Amino acid sequence: MVNPKRRTIRSWVVLGAVLAGLVLISLAWGELMLTPRQLWAGITDHDELAHTVLFQLRLPRVLTGMLVGAALSAGGLIMQAYFRNSLASPDLLGVSSGAAAGAVSAIVLGWTALSLWVLPLAAVVGAVVATLAVLALAQRGASTERLLLAGVALNALLGAITSYHLSHGVALWERNAQLLFWLLGGLEDRSWLHVTAALPIVVAAMVLWPLGRQMDLLSLGETEAQSLGVDVRRLRRTLLVLATVLAATATSVAGIVGFVGLVVPHGLRLLVGPEHRRLVPLSLLGGAAFVLACDLVGKLAGGLRLGIVTALIGGPFFLWLLRRRA
Amino acid sequence: MTTDMLTLDNVSVEARLRDATLTLPRGALVGLIGPNGAGKSTLLQAAAGLLPNASGEVAWAGVRVNEIAMMERARRVAWVPQEARFEFGFSVRAVVQQGRYAHGDDDAGVDAMLARFDLSGLAARPVNQLSGGERQRVLLARACVTQAPLQLWDEPLASLDPRHALEVLRLAAELKSDGSTVVASLHDLRVAHCFDLIVVLAGGRVDAVGKPAAVLTPNRLRAVFGVTMRTGNGILLELP
Repeated sequence: MVNPKRRTIRSWVVLGAVLAGLVLISLAWGELMLTPRQLWAGITDHDELAHTVLFQLRLPRVLTGMLVGAALSAGGLIMQAYFRNSLASPDLLGVSSGAAAGAVSAIVLGWTALSLWVLPLAAVVGAVVATLAVLALAQRGASTERLLLAGVALNALLGAITSYHLSHGVALWERNAQLLFWLLGGLEDRSWLHVTAALPIVVAAMVLWPLGRQMDLLSLGETEAQSLGVDVRRLRRTLLVLATVLAATATSVAGIVGFVGLVVPHGLRLLVGPEHRRLVPLSLLGGAAFVLACDLVGKLAGGLRLGIVTALIGGPFFLWLLRRRA
Repeated sequence: MTTDMLTLDNVSVEARLRDATLTLPRGALVGLIGPNGAGKSTLLQAAAGLLPNASGEVAWAGVRVNEIAMMERARRVAWVPQEARFEFGFSVRAVVQQGRYAHGDDDAGVDAMLARFDLSGLAARPVNQLSGGERQRVLLARACVTQAPLQLWDEPLASLDPRHALEVLRLAAELKSDGSTVVASLHDLRVAHCFDLIVVLAGGRVDAVGKPAAVLTPNRLRAVFGVTMRTGNGILLELP
C-alpha cells in the first residue's frame, strides 16, 4: 500500500491542478469562445467584451459552482461522520429538499420581495426542520436502512410541498420557471449576488477545518469519543449546525444538486483513507472540482442542468455502493 | 488523598440500575458479574462518567466526576465498550493511537501496546475488516495506551480465544501492581478466582461485594444465576 501521507500530497497537487484547469476551461468555454490570449486580455481588462463576459457572467458562475460543490461535499462528509454511516448525505437525508421547500415557499408567499436574504434564510429554516426530522427518525448510529428510509420519507414529504406550490399556480408560468429552478439545481445566470449569498459557506468551511481530528473519534462511536476526551455534545451541535448551513446555503443559490456529498467524500476516502484531517480540506477542494466538471459536462451536452448531471453520475455510484455493502 | 479509586454513591439509571453504592480501592482487579440485563454495562458506563442522566454521585480518587474537565477525565479513566461497530476503515494503529487524544495526540506507547496485544502484524489493517476477537483487542489496546489509572472494561474476554484471554488477565494483573484498578465485567465465572474482588449485580442492584471465595457461594449462584455450583473435574487453563 502506498503511504497515505504521500497519497494525500499527491491528491492535493492533482486536485489543485484539476481545479485550476477546470476554472480556466469554465471561464473560456461558452457561447463566446475565448482563446487563451483573449482570456488574458479579458482578465487584464484589455478586451472589453471578454472582460464583461468573464466578470459579469462566467466568474460568478464558476465561483458559485465552486462554493456549492465545496459545501455539498463537506456537508456530506460531516453527516457521514455524524451518523457514522458512509451513505448519509444532505440530499439523501432530505436536508436539501427541506431547503428547497423553504425557498420555494418563500417565493410563492411573496416574501422574497422583502429582502435579498429572505430566500437563503427560508432555505436554512427548511433545512433545519428537515435535519430535526431526520434526527427524530434516525438516531446516530442507526442502521443504514433506517437512515435511508427516513430520508426517503422526508424527501417525499418535502417534495410534496414543493410540488404543491408548483401545481397550485400553473398559470404563473414565470414564477413556476423560478420554482423549477430549485428542483433541478443549476448554475445558469448566477451573478455576484449569488456569490455573496454563498459566502456563509466560506465561514462554515473555516469553522469545520480544525474539527477533523475530533470527527475521526466521533465517527467511531460517540460514547467512545467522549471517553477519550472529546466534548461530544458540543462537537455534535457544531457539526449539525455546519452541515445544515452548508446544505441550505448551497441549495439556496443553486437549487437541489444531488449526490455531490456522497460521491466526493467516498472517492477521496478510497484515495487517502478515512482520516478527517485529510478529508476535510480535500473534500472542499474535490467538491468544488466535481461540480465545475459536472457543469462543464452539462454545457458540453448542450445545456444539461447541473442537478441532472450530478444525478446521472451519482445515482449509479450510489447503487454501486449499496451493492458493495450488501 | 483518599486510597479509594472509585466511589459510587446511590447511583441510579432509570430502569437499569438502582442505588448502586460501591467503593473500590486503588490497585485492585475487580470482576463484575451478574446475569444478562443485571446492569453491568450500565454500571461501568456510569462509573466512567458517560451517562449524563445517571443520578447519584460518582467520584474518582475522591474527586467528583462532574468537577473534572472532559480532557482530564480521559486521562484518568478508560472505558472499553462491549462491542464496537466500525463504519470506516481506520487502520488498527490509528484506532489504538486515538487513546492518546487527551495526551496531546502523541503516539507514546502505541507500538508497544500493539505488540502487547499481538496486533503488530495487523497494525495497517482496516478495523472494519477484523474479526470480533481482534476488534476487542484493538479496543483494549486503545484503553491501555491512555495509561489511565482506572480501567473499566465491559466483557473484555467475551470473544477472545483462551490464550489472548489469559494474556489480557496477565496485563490486568500488571496494571494492578502499578497501582491501577481494573474493573471488568465477566460471564465466565471460571476466571473469577483471578480477581481480588467480585461485585455481584442482580436486577440492577449491587447484591454482594467481596473476595471471590467469599462471594461465589453455591447459594448465591443459585439465587442470582439459577445454576448449581460444583467444583473439581474441570479444565484449568494457564499461560505457559
